[in-house]
Amino acid sequence: MLRKSHFNIRKFIYDTFDKDAAKVVFEREGIWDCTTCSACLKKCPKGVDTTGIVMGLRGLMVEDGRIPPPIRDALKSIAIHKNPWKISAEERSRWAEGLHVKNISEGGDILYYVGCTPAYDARLQKVARAIVEILNRAGVDFGILGNEEGCCGSEIRRMGDVWTFEYLAEENIEIFKKYNVKKIVTTSPHCYNTFKNEYKGAEFEVQHYTELIASLIEEGRLSFTRQIDKTVTYHDPCFLGKQNGVFDPPRKVLTSIPGIKLVEMDRARERSLCCEGGGGRMWVESEDSEDRLAKIRVGEAMDVGAQILATSCPFCLLTLEDVVKTGDLEESIKVMDIAELVKEAL
Amino acid sequence: MSEEFEPNIVGFACNWCSYAGADLAGTSRMKYPPNIRIIRVMCSGRVSPAFILKAFQMGADGVLVTGCHPGDCHYIAGNLKCEKTMGTTRKLIDVLGIGEERLRLEWVSASEGSKFADVVTDFTNRIRGLGPLSGKSQG
Amino acid sequence: METAEIRIGVYICHCGINIASTVDVDSVRDSISKLPNVIVSRDFKYMCSDPGQELVIKDIKEKGLNRIVVASCSPRMHEPTFRMTIQQAGLNPYCLEMANIREQCSWVHEDREYATEKAVKLVSAAVAKASLLEPLEEKEVEVRPEALVIGGGIAGIQASLDIADAGFKVYLVEREPSIGGHMAQLDKTFPTLDCSACILTPRMVEVERHPNIELLSYSEVIDVSGYIGNFHVKVRKKPRYIKMDKCTGCGMCAEACIMKGRIISEFDVGMGKRSVPYIPFPYAVPSKYTMDSENCLFITKGKCGKSPACKDACSSDAVDFEQKEEIVELDVGTIVVATGFDLFDAKEKPEYGYGLYDNVLSGLEFERLVSSSGPTQGKIIIGGKEPKNVVFVQCVGSRDKSVGNEYCSRVCCMYTAKQAHLVHEKLPDAKLTVFYMDIRAFGKGYEEFYDRVREEGVRYIRGNVSEIIKKGDRLLVMAEDTLLGEPVDIEADLVVLATGIVPRRDVKEVANLLKISQSPDGFFLEGHPKMRPVDTATDGIYLAGCAQGPKDIPDTVAQAKGAASSAMTKMARGKVKVEVTTASVDTFVCRGCGRCVEVCEYGAPNLEEVEPGILVSQINDSICKGCGACSVACPSGAISMKHFKNEQILSQIEAVI
Ligand SMILES: Cc1cc2nc3c(=O)[nH]c(=O)nc-3n(C[C@H](O)[C@H](O)[C@H](O)COP(=O)(O)OP(=O)(O)OC[C@H]3O[C@@H](n4cnc5c(N)ncnc54)[C@H](O)[C@@H]3O)c2cc1C
Ligand code: SF4
Ligand code: SF4
Ligand code: SF4
Ligand code: SF4
Ligand code: FES
Repeated sequence: MLRKSHFNIRKFIYDTFDKDAAKVVFEREGIWDCTTCSACLKKCPKGVDTTGIVMGLRGLMVEDGRIPPPIRDALKSIAIHKNPWKISAEERSRWAEGLHVKNISEGGDILYYVGCTPAYDARLQKVARAIVEILNRAGVDFGILGNEEGCCGSEIRRMGDVWTFEYLAEENIEIFKKYNVKKIVTTSPHCYNTFKNEYKGAEFEVQHYTELIASLIEEGRLSFTRQIDKTVTYHDPCFLGKQNGVFDPPRKVLTSIPGIKLVEMDRARERSLCCEGGGGRMWVESEDSEDRLAKIRVGEAMDVGAQILATSCPFCLLTLEDVVKTGDLEESIKVMDIAELVKEAL
Repeated sequence: MSEEFEPNIVGFACNWCSYAGADLAGTSRMKYPPNIRIIRVMCSGRVSPAFILKAFQMGADGVLVTGCHPGDCHYIAGNLKCEKTMGTTRKLIDVLGIGEERLRLEWVSASEGSKFADVVTDFTNRIRGLGPLSGKSQG
Repeated sequence: METAEIRIGVYICHCGINIASTVDVDSVRDSISKLPNVIVSRDFKYMCSDPGQELVIKDIKEKGLNRIVVASCSPRMHEPTFRMTIQQAGLNPYCLEMANIREQCSWVHEDREYATEKAVKLVSAAVAKASLLEPLEEKEVEVRPEALVIGGGIAGIQASLDIADAGFKVYLVEREPSIGGHMAQLDKTFPTLDCSACILTPRMVEVERHPNIELLSYSEVIDVSGYIGNFHVKVRKKPRYIKMDKCTGCGMCAEACIMKGRIISEFDVGMGKRSVPYIPFPYAVPSKYTMDSENCLFITKGKCGKSPACKDACSSDAVDFEQKEEIVELDVGTIVVATGFDLFDAKEKPEYGYGLYDNVLSGLEFERLVSSSGPTQGKIIIGGKEPKNVVFVQCVGSRDKSVGNEYCSRVCCMYTAKQAHLVHEKLPDAKLTVFYMDIRAFGKGYEEFYDRVREEGVRYIRGNVSEIIKKGDRLLVMAEDTLLGEPVDIEADLVVLATGIVPRRDVKEVANLLKISQSPDGFFLEGHPKMRPVDTATDGIYLAGCAQGPKDIPDTVAQAKGAASSAMTKMARGKVKVEVTTASVDTFVCRGCGRCVEVCEYGAPNLEEVEPGILVSQINDSICKGCGACSVACPSGAISMKHFKNEQILSQIEAVI
């Protein structure tokens, strides 16, 4: 997403008033640029459901089959493998090999819902492993769904495919019911958001892992032995902060780690800048440009003197780290998930 | 249902808007069927379910209650209270076998003479279509 | 109770041919003459003419009639006429009933047979009701010649002066140590650019000097009971810890106080500092000092040095730490509510960085900054420097569903134009940009002023600012120019937010206190949006200024004068008629459930304990408006409506079918 993208929600709205919407959307550039971060939705003075409209318009494209190939592949992969990464469902729990973690069928107070990206992406698997180690250290009784875990559907909904989303949601709710799940903890703010706000008829409590860790620290169940003498700044993921108001728990976790000096970027909390990883954008190629939000964001982190740019979302981690790698900035700044920092300090 | 069936319709109109709207229909010489007889109350909120039941019991085939538009009631919210009461009354008359479509609530402002005439015409035709409430009632 | 025989006279009007051409008047007359209690049934060409009325009077006298039915035009037209007619003949005016056979019969129907049949029914219904009518006494209550004005902003000041000038006593209750309200904080006022203090101060002084005005400053209304004519009001005078009669306003205490210059000045909206003993601003009225009890060491900690420096410094011995709050009780005939507004808190829009950056100011802060009585003596200096680039953002907290304020604040377009002009005047080289959604310049001279400001070089960009972030030591304002459909970035040294007008924080409590309502936007609700814009649903209570909704000074003053004149009309006559057709409770039937209390919009019914444990509703007929809602709500059928009793209406229903 570029700040000066061709995407203009008003143009779409006006033009689809009296013209064939699918045609307008197809002919106009930009419908896939929106990250559904909802910054505009939160600010719109007239209460226009902007992101809802984007998803609806994308739905028209999906219905017509006029979608960019990578998106099409991701959608297809979800239908076949229950994940957008085109890897077999049989391999979903490979990340947990060698870890002490039980399947939720054996009981447990909490279901740790890992999510597709942390389950399959090599970089994110580290985060998932870190979370398991942390929960074990705190003595939390939890389990995972193993290969039975399927995509939460958040991204697919944002790519416009509500039908598959609804199917996934129903199926997941069935599975949660089967294991009598009362509480779910997620790695990703995207899964968290969709479980919390978009699963109709769900009867379970949802927490983001930063909320759980913050309360474990508060209750004295988790303590640190190691010092991390680094200046850290925190990037609020849109789906956790802006959209769900979870601002304090991640900060609480960071400031509890001995040695960490937390500095805030100018755009923090409600003011946070989207990293552009959401809304299905993970599967769309981005032009490289100085205007790329992730690039601006990494720059902002360096401006406040951060050595570590911490975040708590798989997509943020990947997009921001990509900027650091391609920009040869590894010497100056490191992108890490909060879970990784916590694990390091245990 | 005979072609000649002329229903009896009782109307309740609040003094401030609807009764004035009915008057305006008159001053503007609009025409509507003569079946309706209007009883003036100060506010639609004064219309008690007992009045409606009495009307049906006496042989009315339809009852039309009119009040100011929401927000315009002379007594702030009498019309909204009326809306609530009418909701429960409608259920009640349905249970009694009268049929809820025989009771209608409409908002008519003092400037809506033509709306008043239209509402009365439409309601009269509907009731005419429904036929008499009890076999014996004849217009 | 009337036990005499009911003797009804019925008069059917031809209205020229207006009725007679569609309704067979003779046939109606004959049918009606057969009804019980009908002594005479007549028709006449024009009932409202003098001979028509004479006819009625004569019959009443000669035939001993005691109930009259006139079948003619709408009662909305001639009910008052015929009430007067029968009164002349010695009957109670409420012994009249009318049948509307013109507007609701002859004029709307064409078929003579049906119209005649309907007319008979309508007149029969009127006869049926007439048989059951009861004489009612018209009641008047006295109106005390004293008024209470709540709030001493420009609205309250204007209303007080008008009422006092007319010769009535006014109690003006102001919560703060001084009157003046927001207008006292403004620099110049649009569109004429008069200096706010120059036009306000004389009025404030007039209030202080006026023999008919008693100013209760630093006071709050805590209880109101009664009704129009006789409100009983309790006011709490907060302790100032400084004796009003002794303080000369010299300010020695403030100079001496060890906390001097350490307390944030509310008047300068946080941009200036003051002492513990303070007057809010130099031309305050009353010009007496007040001890800020929350920050005073002696009051909070019981100790301040060896002995409080303020007390030692005061040569008039005015400092009095023993002072206690005082409750003053007042009896007034009318009340004007002029409690004004609060400013929208721009922190609710985090994207603008208000509260985060020192160079993002609210509209009111900017007024103080640019005012020569303000913290910088009117120099526009921010972070030690004169700004080169100033950006104004309109509609902050107004017209914005995301913060729950859908309405337009009506002053911020114009005050932004004014503020831009003031910057231009003081810093001619500064680049000025205004971001707006729409420009609302609807008042006299407003559009002209807006044009003038644009001609001065102020750039207006249509579009909402999406975010304001830091860029070095400047600010980066980002937005979309929606006319061009392009993003714009502007670097600024100062951003002024056109913060809107919101209801007072305690608006709900004040509404409850006075039993008046609020509109959906939270401001007090007027009697009717068009026809009764200064009244409330409660007789004798009137609204003025921003308490009723956002408005500028001209509109505020106009409304204040309207409210004052409404109050004066009632007081000048000294009496008001109260509604006759009210509700009354049969105390034997009432079971004290309180449904009537819940349902009444005016607070007329009250549950009273007649015997220990036994509650009975009593309806105050000076407050009751006669809507009838309670009588429908009452599960026991204890409430009857005068002139619209259940029996009366049921008899009409019976007759009409
Ligand atoms: C930044 C800004 C600039 C403006 N510039 C202009 C301009 O240039 N020209 C123009 O025409 N208009 C301007 N206005 C509008 C103007 O300020 C208002 O029209 C005017 O102040 C309204 O006066 P008021 O008396 O209704 O309310 P207020 O000024 O708010 O006065 C209300 C008074 O009531 C008191 N009070 C409140 N509650 C109670 C209570 N419960 N008991 C006792 N007392 C109470 C308050 O202390 C206050 O003194 C501006 C407004 C703002 C915010
Ligand atoms: S007692 Fe002390 S703190 Fe209080 S006003 Fe006097 S000098 Fe100031
Ligand atoms: S007056 Fe102007 S700035 Fe204020 S809310 Fe209305 S349109 Fe917006
Ligand atoms: S609603 Fe009727 S019974 Fe209940 S308190 Fe009021 S008058 Fe009495
Ligand atoms: S008639 Fe209306 S105003 Fe009078 S007491 Fe009943 S509810 Fe209140
Ligand atoms: S006065 Fe018309 S509905 Fe209440």
